[in-house]
Amino acid sequence: MAEGSGEVVALPASGAANGLSNGAGGTSAQPNNPLSRKLHKILETRLDNDKEMLEALKALSTFFVENSLRTRRNLRGDIERRSLAINEEFVSIFKEVKEELESINEDVQAMSSCCQDMTSRLQAAKEQTQDLIVKTTKLQTESQRLEIRAQVADAFLAKFQLTNEEMSLLRGTREGPVTEDFFKALGRVKQIHNDVKVLLRTNQQTAGLEIMEQMALLQETAYERLYRWAQSECRTLTQESCDVSPVLTQAMEALQDRPVLYKYTLDEFGTARRSTVVRGFIDALTRGGPGGTPRPIEMHSHDPLRYVGDMLAWLHQATASEKEHLEAFLKRVTAPGVEENIQEVVGHITEGVCRPLKVRIEQVILAEPGAVLLYKISNLLKFYHHTISGIVGNSATTLLTTIEEMHLLSKKIFFNSLSLHASKLMDKVELPPPDLGPSSALNQTLTLLREVLASHDSSVVPLDARQADFVQVLSCVLDPLLQMCTVSASNLGTADMATFMVNSLYMMKTTLALFEFTDRRLEMLQFQIEAHLDTLINEQASYVLTRVGLSYIYNTVQQHKPEQGCLANLPNLDSVALKAAMVQFDRYLSAPDNLLMPQLNFLLSATVKEQIVKQSTELVCRAYAEVYAAVMNPTNEYKDPEGILHRSPQQVQALLS
Amino acid sequence: MATAPYNYSYIFKYIIIGDMGVGKSCLLHQFTEKKFMADCPHTIGVEFGTRIIEVSGQKIKLQIWDTAGQERFRAVTRSYYRGAAGALMVYDITRRSTYNHLSSWLTDARNLTNPNTVIILIGNKADLDAQRDVTYEEAKQFAEENGLLFLEASAKTGENVEDAFLEAAKKIYQNIQDGSLDLNAAESGVQHKPSAPQGGRLTSEPQPQREGCGC
Repeated sequence: MAEGSGEVVALPASGAANGLSNGAGGTSAQPNNPLSRKLHKILETRLDNDKEMLEALKALSTFFVENSLRTRRNLRGDIERRSLAINEEFVSIFKEVKEELESINEDVQAMSSCCQDMTSRLQAAKEQTQDLIVKTTKLQTESQRLEIRAQVADAFLAKFQLTNEEMSLLRGTREGPVTEDFFKALGRVKQIHNDVKVLLRTNQQTAGLEIMEQMALLQETAYERLYRWAQSECRTLTQESCDVSPVLTQAMEALQDRPVLYKYTLDEFGTARRSTVVRGFIDALTRGGPGGTPRPIEMHSHDPLRYVGDMLAWLHQATASEKEHLEAFLKRVTAPGVEENIQEVVGHITEGVCRPLKVRIEQVILAEPGAVLLYKISNLLKFYHHTISGIVGNSATTLLTTIEEMHLLSKKIFFNSLSLHASKLMDKVELPPPDLGPSSALNQTLTLLREVLASHDSSVVPLDARQADFVQVLSCVLDPLLQMCTVSASNLGTADMATFMVNSLYMMKTTLALFEFTDRRLEMLQFQIEAHLDTLINEQASYVLTRVGLSYIYNTVQQHKPEQGCLANLPNLDSVALKAAMVQFDRYLSAPDNLLMPQLNFLLSATVKEQIVKQSTELVCRAYAEVYAAVMNPTNEYKDPEGILHRSPQQVQALLS
Repeated sequence: MATAPYNYSYIFKYIIIGDMGVGKSCLLHQFTEKKFMADCPHTIGVEFGTRIIEVSGQKIKLQIWDTAGQERFRAVTRSYYRGAAGALMVYDITRRSTYNHLSSWLTDARNLTNPNTVIILIGNKADLDAQRDVTYEEAKQFAEENGLLFLEASAKTGENVEDAFLEAAKKIYQNIQDGSLDLNAAESGVQHKPSAPQGGRLTSEPQPQREGCGC
C-alpha cells in the first residue's frame, strides 16, 4: 500500500510531465510495448473517481506553490521531509497518550488491589456475621408468629370481651341515665355469653368458663342497673297522660329475660298509674273540668242513675286509656303471656278506685231510691261489668269484682224492695171493689211491674242475660199478687169471685203481654182465666135455666131412671108445668140479653164476656135438647108432646145464635 | 322500629254523637281502618278507637269514643261527654229527621262538655246526593249560627272523613296555642306529653368508672 501510494504520488508528476507528449505517443500505439501499456494504464486512470489521488493532489497543492525545476527536483525530498515531520508529531502526541495510559493503568492496578482487599475483608465480615443473620432470621419469624398470635388474641378479645366504654355503660352509676348504647352493650354481653359455649367444646374450656362467668356477672349487674333505672322511671309516670319513652319500652324488652325484675318493674308501673287513676277519679268526682264544666260528678249525686253512670263511664274510659298505656309500655315484649300481664296490671291499676267507687255506689243503693231505680242501677252495673271485662278480660280483677258485688247488692236490695212490696200486699188484703175490677193494690203493683220490665227492656244488658232476671222478677211479683187476689176474692160468691179473678188475671195478662220472655207466665195466666171462665159459663147457664124454670125439669130429666116410671107422672113434670116453663123460655128466647148475670157486665174484656155468653148459651141449648128428647120419647107418655114443647132444639139454637 | 306510633305529644279525646243510623260507627271505622264497614251492627253503649294524626308537625293521638245513637242508651252515652276535647255531631243528609234532632244533640253537648270543646257538624252519606234531604247551605247556616265547624262527608267513599277529624284537631290545637284551652285543668280532654324523651337524653356528667362489684 505504501508502495502503491508512493507510485500514485509519483504518477501525476510524470503524467503532468508527460502531458504534452501524450498526443504524439497515442498515435503510434504499440500494444505490447511496456511503455504504451504503462501509458494506457495512466490514461485509463480516472482521476475524478480516485479520491486518494484527489486528496493527495490537494495536499500537494498546499505546499507546492512554485512549479519550478528546482522545486520539482526537490519535491520528493520535500514530501519526505513533511512526512517525517508529521510522523514526529505523531510520535510526540502518542507519547503523551501512552503516559496517560500508563498512569491509568497504575490507578486501575491500585483499584484492583483495593478491591481485592475489600473482598477479602468482606469475606471475613461475612464469616463473622453469619451467626448474627441466622439469629435475626429466627427472631423475625418469632416476631411474625407473635404478631399473628397478637391478632388472634385481639380478635378473641373483640369477640369475647367488652370494650371499656361498654363496661362503663353497663355498670354505670346508680342514677345515670340508660341510653340506646346500653342496650347494644347488653346485647353484646348476651351474645358473648352465648358464643362462649363454642369455647367449651374446644380445649379452651378454662377460658370459656371464665368468660362465661364474667359475662354472667356482668349481665346481672347490668340487669340490676336497668331494673333500678326502669323502676325509678316508672315512678315518674304519674301524670294523667303517661309518656312511655322508647328507651323504657326497650328496657322492658330487655327485662323480660329476668322474669322477677320484669314483674317488679311492671308492679312499679302499676303502682304509679294506680295512684294517678285514683287522683284523677277523685278530681272528676269533686272538682270537675276547668271552671267547673263539666261539673264534678258528685254534683249529680241527687240523680242516682246519672251519678253511678258517670262514675262508671269515667272508669271505663280510664281503664281503656290505662290499657293503651300498658300496651305502649310492653309493645316490644315478645315473651308469651303479655296479654295476661296487661290484664293483670290493668287490674292492679284500677284496684285503687274500687274503694271510693264502692262507698259511693253503696250509699246510693242503701238509700233505697225505689225498686225501679234500683233495677236500673243494677242493669247499669251489669252493663259496665260486661263492657269493662271486654277491656281487662275476665280475670278476677278487683274492679270487676267490685262492680259485680255492687250489681249483686243492688239486685238484692231491688228484690228486697219487690218482696217488701209483695208482702205488704198480703199484710192488708183489701176487699174487691164493688165493680169487681182490679183492686188499687193490684193496679199499683202492676204499674211498678210495668216500669221495672220497661226499664229492663231498655237496658243495655245483652238479651240472653235478661231472661234469667225476668223469671225472678215475675215470680217475685206475680205470685204474691195472685195470692192476694185469691185471698181477697175468697169471701165472695162464686160468680163474683170468678168475675173478680178473671178481671185481675186479665189485667196481669195485658200488662205482661207487652214484654218479652213472658210467654210461660202468660200461658199460666190464660189457664187460670179459663178455669174461672168455665165457672162463669156454668153460672150463667144455670142462671138462665133457673130463671126460666127449666132448672128443676132439666135436673129431674137428667137424673131420671126408667124404673122410676114415665116422666109425665112425676110431680112438677106434667105437661102443665112444662108448658109454663116454655112460656118463660120463649120470653128468654126473644130477649136473651135480659137474662145475663149482673156480674158479667163488670167484665173488663168484651171478648171474655162474649165467650161466656156464647158458651153458656150452648149449654142452655144442650139442656133444652135433652129435655126435648125426653119429652118426645114415647116411653115418657106425654100426650101431644109437640104441643108442649113447640120448638125444636134446632129452632132454639137458631134463635139464640 | 315500631317506636314511631307512640311518639306523640298530645292525646285528644273525641266523642261522636248523633241519631241512630247516621253512620257514626262507620265514620270511626273509616277513619281508623280506612275501610267502609257495610253492615255495621248497632253500637251497644259505647265503643272506642284510636289513631295518631299530625297537626302543625305535632303528633296527636286521638282517642275517639263512639256512642250509641239509640234513645235507650242515652243515659249511658251522656256520661261520656265529660272531658271531651272534640265532639263530632253527625246527621244523615238523606234523612231530615236526623238533622232536625241536631239542636237537642247540641244542647246535650253544650251542657255536658266543657266550654272549650270543639264541636264539628258532619253531614254524613254525602255519596247519596240523589236522595239528599238537607241542603248544604242550610246546614252550613245552622253551623255558623251555632259556632260549629261544618263538613259534609261520606263514610262509604271516605270523602272528607279524614278532614272532619283533622279540622277539629286543628281547632283544638289552635285553642291550645292561643292559650284559650288550659291544659293543666282536669278533664280538658287534652293530655300533653313533654316530647323530649327522658331516657334518650345525653348526659354531660362523666360517669364514674366503676360502681358496685367488679368482676
